[in-house]
Amino acid sequence: MKQSRRYAIIGSGAAGTEAACQLRNHDPDSVITVVTTSKLQFIDRYDLPRVFDGVDDWRELLVHPPEFYHDNKITVRRNTWVSSVNTRENKLNFRHKETMVYDKLLVASGGGGHIPEGLREFSAYLNPFTTFQNAVRLRDSLGKQGKVVMLGGDMVGLDLARSLTAAGHQVTIFANETLFWPHEIKQADIAQYVKALEAMGIKVVFGRKPVAVEQISRPSKGTSYSRRLVFEKGKPELANAIMPFYGLMPALNFMMGTGVDIERGLLVNPHLKTTNDKIWAAGDVCQIWSPEDNRYNFFYGWANVKKMGLIAAHNMTGGSTEMKTSQTNKLKITKNGVLHSPYWEHD
Amino acid sequence: MTGEKSTKLYLPENEDFSGTQAFGTRVVTTVRYSTDPRDVGWVKENIPCQTACPASTNIPAYIRSIVEKRYGRSYELNRMANVLPGVLGRICSRPCEDVCRHGWPGNGEPVAICHLKRVAADYKSPSHQINESLFTPSGKRLAVVGAGPAGIAAAYDLTTLGHNVTIYEREKNPGGMLRYGIPAFRLPREILNEEIRNAVRLGVDLKTGVAVGTGENDVSLKSLRQDFDAVLLSSGCMAPIELPLRKNGLAQDETSDIAGVEYGLNFLVEMHRGKTKTVGKRVAVVGAGFTALDCARVACRLGAEEVTIHLRTTEEYIPVTKEELFECKRESVNILGLRTPVELLTHEDGSLRGVRFVQNRLGGWRANGRRLAIPIEGSEFDIECDTLLIAIGQKTVNDYLDMPLELDRWNCIKINRQGMTSRKGVFAAGDFVGGPSTVIEAVGHGRKIALKMDRWLMGGERRKQVVKVESVGDPLRERAFDFIPLQEMPTTPVKQRFNDMTTEVEQGLELDKAEEEAKRCYLCYLKYEIDVDNCIYCRACIEVAPRDCIKLVEGIDINKDGSYGLLRETSEWDKTGAIWVDNNECIRCGACYMVCPTRCISITKMELFYQNVAEKNHGVQEDPVIKGVMP
Repeated sequence: MKQSRRYAIIGSGAAGTEAACQLRNHDPDSVITVVTTSKLQFIDRYDLPRVFDGVDDWRELLVHPPEFYHDNKITVRRNTWVSSVNTRENKLNFRHKETMVYDKLLVASGGGGHIPEGLREFSAYLNPFTTFQNAVRLRDSLGKQGKVVMLGGDMVGLDLARSLTAAGHQVTIFANETLFWPHEIKQADIAQYVKALEAMGIKVVFGRKPVAVEQISRPSKGTSYSRRLVFEKGKPELANAIMPFYGLMPALNFMMGTGVDIERGLLVNPHLKTTNDKIWAAGDVCQIWSPEDNRYNFFYGWANVKKMGLIAAHNMTGGSTEMKTSQTNKLKITKNGVLHSPYWEHD
Repeated sequence: MTGEKSTKLYLPENEDFSGTQAFGTRVVTTVRYSTDPRDVGWVKENIPCQTACPASTNIPAYIRSIVEKRYGRSYELNRMANVLPGVLGRICSRPCEDVCRHGWPGNGEPVAICHLKRVAADYKSPSHQINESLFTPSGKRLAVVGAGPAGIAAAYDLTTLGHNVTIYEREKNPGGMLRYGIPAFRLPREILNEEIRNAVRLGVDLKTGVAVGTGENDVSLKSLRQDFDAVLLSSGCMAPIELPLRKNGLAQDETSDIAGVEYGLNFLVEMHRGKTKTVGKRVAVVGAGFTALDCARVACRLGAEEVTIHLRTTEEYIPVTKEELFECKRESVNILGLRTPVELLTHEDGSLRGVRFVQNRLGGWRANGRRLAIPIEGSEFDIECDTLLIAIGQKTVNDYLDMPLELDRWNCIKINRQGMTSRKGVFAAGDFVGGPSTVIEAVGHGRKIALKMDRWLMGGERRKQVVKVESVGDPLRERAFDFIPLQEMPTTPVKQRFNDMTTEVEQGLELDKAEEEAKRCYLCYLKYEIDVDNCIYCRACIEVAPRDCIKLVEGIDINKDGSYGLLRETSEWDKTGAIWVDNNECIRCGACYMVCPTRCISITKMELFYQNVAEKNHGVQEDPVIKGVMP
């Protein structure tokens, strides 16, 4: 009897989930297991700001209902951390000491918010915005008219900033060169984009380097600020929440030492195959070789990530499709004078 | 009496039991010293950290001493293998941690072996007494050229072997790369001074500021050879490798004539000699080793606004520790990969304007285990900078030799199996032989060559590796220790680091953290064995084993040295020849030992170290009897 092929997918975001659906279409008898560190099934990051509109139930944010996974025979192992990949025996080692064998592996673990090494020791006082729980915690800490300080600024942060200002909160960005990441903006154009941000009610401050984040255990009378941001020079800034947005860093610690080529992301060919014959990668975790540019590129944004999931699944089941992006990378200012990024668009 | 019983099971009757110590009627420990290749083979197979250490440091033993709060003993156990524990506890490249069993898949993070070495040095008593095992004076006079880690380690060993040693060092102070290459914020000079002083105070004549060479005021190698019974060359790799650039009309040796371009090694050496160094606002460093990282971190302290290290491959494949890389990034150093410099760009006045790079892709593996970087044609790009520090490698300087010595294809000194160069009585050690390596490799090599010199001078082996075999009546560990997380090294806040060039970054583990970290060590020197004659095959040990470490076997391969090799496993009882502890899988939790109803599982401590050969056997090559006690 022919044994079913075992596909393992690390990551349950847009790329991983899309790949799982496509693998089911291409290989109906296969065993598909999605491993995710998330406690919930796939929630669209773009929908998280809906918590500011009063959405309290995470079920409302699920991209697919639970029965979708059941009907498609896709096993989702939530709250499961891969500690390493044994490429010799084709096994995933989990943090809880269990192992899982695969025939083909797709790494779609995405990117985590990068925190500069100098601020890592203050991680406990920083508010991430990657999960439903994070979003609810942020909303609760802000109250009605809270103050949020963003560090760095990138298109994920700016997306949230416009939701926060729309919800009546005050947002200040202490910006650096990642302000419009991953857009590559000419120095001469920065001023007009900053102006557009200010038109959206977002305050942008340049030239102040944060060095520490402190907790305020007893806020001053009349304020509810619980965080203090300390700079290299000048007066500290107080806020309800301090959020790092320094671009995304591929989440692939578990791939270190596996022999699979890595620079910042997993290096893949245009077919999204890594240097290991049994491993593919998709989404924000991979750097794709571009023969035209003679270099490895990251492709960000909902459309790109979803397309990568689709192509990876196609190629894992014998296809030979190359990843090419049709998404524009152009940052625009609308007629209303506000900023618009193609990276904010999604289904 | 179970201790005695279990001990005798694996000690052949003709072995020496003189180390047995009895208290009252109960035998608590039995010690023997073995040169049996099977015992040495077991250690090399089963104690990965010690095998990986170029100086063969008895790592499990010194870590165990920390759990026992015996910091002085821990320091001495280190010093038996490596005369600079406090130094290496800060700047070792840690080959041991790469292979630590605790870091194997599914076991978690490796033990912070290097940090614990520093714990031994930091917490030993202020009145700690150093133990030396000295031979009587031999009357032999030896010269050592270079007071770097290899030279110091060799001189120390040669002195303890009774020889009269003189070190010639051209710099004002001893230490070589330790002093002139490594910044004080990584290696405080008082630690270096103390440990060098301890190494040479047994009678080494240290002549600093005296160069061996062909100059007018130099001491010639020829005269050294005439005046001494043997000479050891350990002058290291003190010249930078030139940056290979595309032909752009600029000769290779002219690169450093451009204002703003400097070789990283020269930059650090001159700074440590006391010369005031400056850098521009935008600093580029090319190179991937510790020197490159040190250059970048020094540049930050000298006030550079933007410092970037450019790598030919990627972060994952560079030969530095993860912690060093992390601290470098914390100090705002950017690290960019997959690029090779091909051209230097200059302003009209001839000063540096930037560097042209070519984009690389990763290729296969080089013979030395590093990755190949393959340049991509037509992918050139420029970066702007006003200072370029080149730290792509180092090489030996041979022009001081006034006698012809055979060189290898890399222009390093060639030595034979005796450690001797092509000239009789002239030996060589450390980086001067094998090219640039690490401090611990230099120490380990210096020591090995010292023993070979002694053997050549005295006509026989007087110190050799033995395995101390000692029965243990307790697992020494608890299963709970396996769940202790890795203890992080506290560091100086970034802001305070830049006040001066000497504020040490790593602050050392606090005592309670150090003990927790030490408990994490599996103590791989403990050998678990099952006496199959007494085993009743109840499977209790298999039931409690946390890993697949107790196996039913139908046979075992025997290695060339006589030690046990691959286990031929079976799952069928009728084919089972023995029930066996797979010491490679075993994490020494002791659960099997505690549960065994017939006490047929024994634990033996196997410690490999150098031991002086007893006087009566001096010079005897066959089956020497080894006796002695650990310091």
